[in-house]
Amino acid sequence: MRIIGTPELTAFRDQCRTWLGENAPAKPWPMDGEALRDFDLAWQRRQYEGGWAGVSWPKDYGGLGLSLLEQLVWHEEYARAGAPQSRSMFVALSHAGPTLIVQGSEAQKQRHLLPILKGEENWCQGFSEPGAGSDLSNLKTRAEIDGESLIVNGTKIWTTYGHLARWQELLVRTDPEAPRHKGISWVICDMRSPGIEVRPIVTMSGIAHFAQVFYDNVRIPLSNVVGGLHNGWKVAMTTLGFERGTGTIAHQYELARTVDELITMARDLPSSDGRGRAIDDGTTATDLATLRAEVMALRSLAAMTISRGLRQAVPGAEGNIAALYYAELTRRVHAAALDLLGPRGLERTGGHDWPLAFLESFKWGIGGGTSEIRRNTIGERVLGLPKGPSAR
Amino acid sequence: MIVDLLPSEEQQLIDDSVRALLAERLPVERLRETASHGGAAERAAWGDFVALGLFGIGIAEADGGHGLGAAEEALVARALGRHLVSLSVLAQMAAPHLATDDALRTRLISGETRATFATVVDQGTAQRIDGDNADWLILLGEGVALVDVPAEAAPIACLDETVSLARLDGSFPAFERADSADRISLLLAAYLSGIAQATLDMAVAYAATREQFGQPIGAFQAIKHMCADMAVRGAAAEAQVLHAAVAFGAGLDDRAEVACARLLATDAALRNANANIQIHGAMGFTAECDAHLYLKRARLVSVLGSSRQAEQERLLAGVA
Ligand SMILES: Cc1cc2nc3c(=O)[nH]c(=O)nc-3n(C[C@H](O)[C@H](O)[C@H](O)COP(=O)(O)OP(=O)(O)OC[C@H]3O[C@@H](n4cnc5c(N)ncnc54)[C@H](O)[C@@H]3O)c2cc1C
Repeated sequence: MRIIGTPELTAFRDQCRTWLGENAPAKPWPMDGEALRDFDLAWQRRQYEGGWAGVSWPKDYGGLGLSLLEQLVWHEEYARAGAPQSRSMFVALSHAGPTLIVQGSEAQKQRHLLPILKGEENWCQGFSEPGAGSDLSNLKTRAEIDGESLIVNGTKIWTTYGHLARWQELLVRTDPEAPRHKGISWVICDMRSPGIEVRPIVTMSGIAHFAQVFYDNVRIPLSNVVGGLHNGWKVAMTTLGFERGTGTIAHQYELARTVDELITMARDLPSSDGRGRAIDDGTTATDLATLRAEVMALRSLAAMTISRGLRQAVPGAEGNIAALYYAELTRRVHAAALDLLGPRGLERTGGHDWPLAFLESFKWGIGGGTSEIRRNTIGERVLGLPKGPSAR
Repeated sequence: MIVDLLPSEEQQLIDDSVRALLAERLPVERLRETASHGGAAERAAWGDFVALGLFGIGIAEADGGHGLGAAEEALVARALGRHLVSLSVLAQMAAPHLATDDALRTRLISGETRATFATVVDQGTAQRIDGDNADWLILLGEGVALVDVPAEAAPIACLDETVSLARLDGSFPAFERADSADRISLLLAAYLSGIAQATLDMAVAYAATREQFGQPIGAFQAIKHMCADMAVRGAAAEAQVLHAAVAFGAGLDDRAEVACARLLATDAALRNANANIQIHGAMGFTAECDAHLYLKRARLVSVLGSSRQAEQERLLAGVA
């Protein structure tokens, strides 16, 4: 338990701050469609050209190979600069890329890694299906082996930016006879393959955020299987464990900023009875103070995750604690914003789009594992309680 | 700022040795006997505390202490909370920070002179906690002060029957909030986070073994999720306590950091103590099950020099 600081880290922090200060694109950013994708790719390219791409990737694959502490500094400065989140580049940078680095063949790495860092190609994640959400291992999308190819039939759903992605990390069932977890393969799918149809799905916030993807006899070379045929479950699980607490820093900063903004607003806005300021109302003050305490605790929980990451290479299930805390807190923060604003909270005007942020806040308790599944995992894998049917 | 929230080897050693002492001398079961109430069991173990150097742990070596910091104090306070150790021990750790003359400080560190907490009820009334043979009082209000013990003390039955509570009549002026008040509040927050963890451990142990409908009750999601929520609250409170302790005095907004720790640790201790009772069913409602002891102690600590309102104000004041 101590404050970590060295002259080298401070110097590194200055470097990050200077570069981000000069290069991070200013708002507003495109929020939808191809404009969003092109923006994200361009920002990635800029980071590559500036020598800042792949902070957590090893040097052998074009990354910077930074230590965890340096990554942390980078992410802190990134968040402080308010630089754009990776969005349509997220799966490529934080999921598919790292999976290939650990599990991919040399040829797969050669083909795919650099184009990601250079902002030339992005990826999406095809895991969930209409019948396989929380219960992912129930997935049914079938891939039959035909000579040197797989023939894929079935459908994936909730594929974030599936309509904007060049490649897909795709989980398919290659052995329907094997036990559930044993007959799955992780394959690289070219989203331009014949037989693929992508239908964007509009979310409750009005954005075509994700898509349903249909596969009609889609041919994928067998050489695109990553980590061995029928071994896809293990391959998928390795990447789910990659989160070491640095990736969420930007979200956490953003939420802290939002709460500070709400407190400042409550000092300016008139109270609902018009006799004072909103903050003078006891309930409002209680809500805002509690939210501020919770965002501070979120930061401390993240610091705890990172402290563990400094000691152990593969993080345990404890990361679910901070993730669950964030999922619930972000909803409360944005609901409190609307409470505070009253009728003004209905207006979608320029500046801070509070209704949009409120609607978006719901996704956190669902995508990437629902809050209920996280509670199961905490109960079973952190606390050691007896397993129910949903262990994943 | 990057903080490491896990203990160093030296810190781990301190934590281990305090825990080992408490496990041996002050298991929570001791409180089932009235003879160990009111800090009596702690008085019997006083020499061990002194030998471990507990009372001067966060005092500079030049001032006769061990030269460690708020972080080490917080680790100790957390362990004390887990064992529902008399708050007089915590007061004895805090008192040397408040002593203005060297001789008094030395006697407090050596344990010869004893201090205990008293919480200010109003300007004319205070409540002394476990102070049956205390020489000094740490008055806890908005601020804190180390004062002589008034002569008159009227024993009064307490919600927490394991505590000896006494009414003091006198003049108790309001003191300004100062760093020392935050430091003590941080200790109390650490103690509360210990209660939150202990109740979680107790609930999980019971949920894993008690069977109904042919399976351990911990396999039912209603119970499992309750335990998961206890773990999340406990982890958040603990992380915040440790963060505030590590960063104390390092140029952050200490007042808001500590207020945050206190608010969340109070909340975690109270809610986890409630949940622990519920998870134990009727057993949890009995005197023989220790679950009620945590609830009562958490209630007591929650009002010591603190109120939700005051912590909230400190949190909001921290936003520029
Ligand atoms: C914004 C967003 C982006 C996403 N992006 C992607 C993506 O890019 N790629 C991809 O593959 N998937 C993606 N998903 C899908 C996501 O992984 C699934 O939504 C998630 O796993 C839950 O599955 P489901 O929606 O089918 O819900 P279900 O599993 O059907 O759950 C419905 C409800 O039942 C509860 N429930 C289910 N099982 C249990 C249990 N055992 N115990 C207690 N409660 C249970 C759930 O908590 C939930 O409340 C995304 C989802 C969202 C919201």
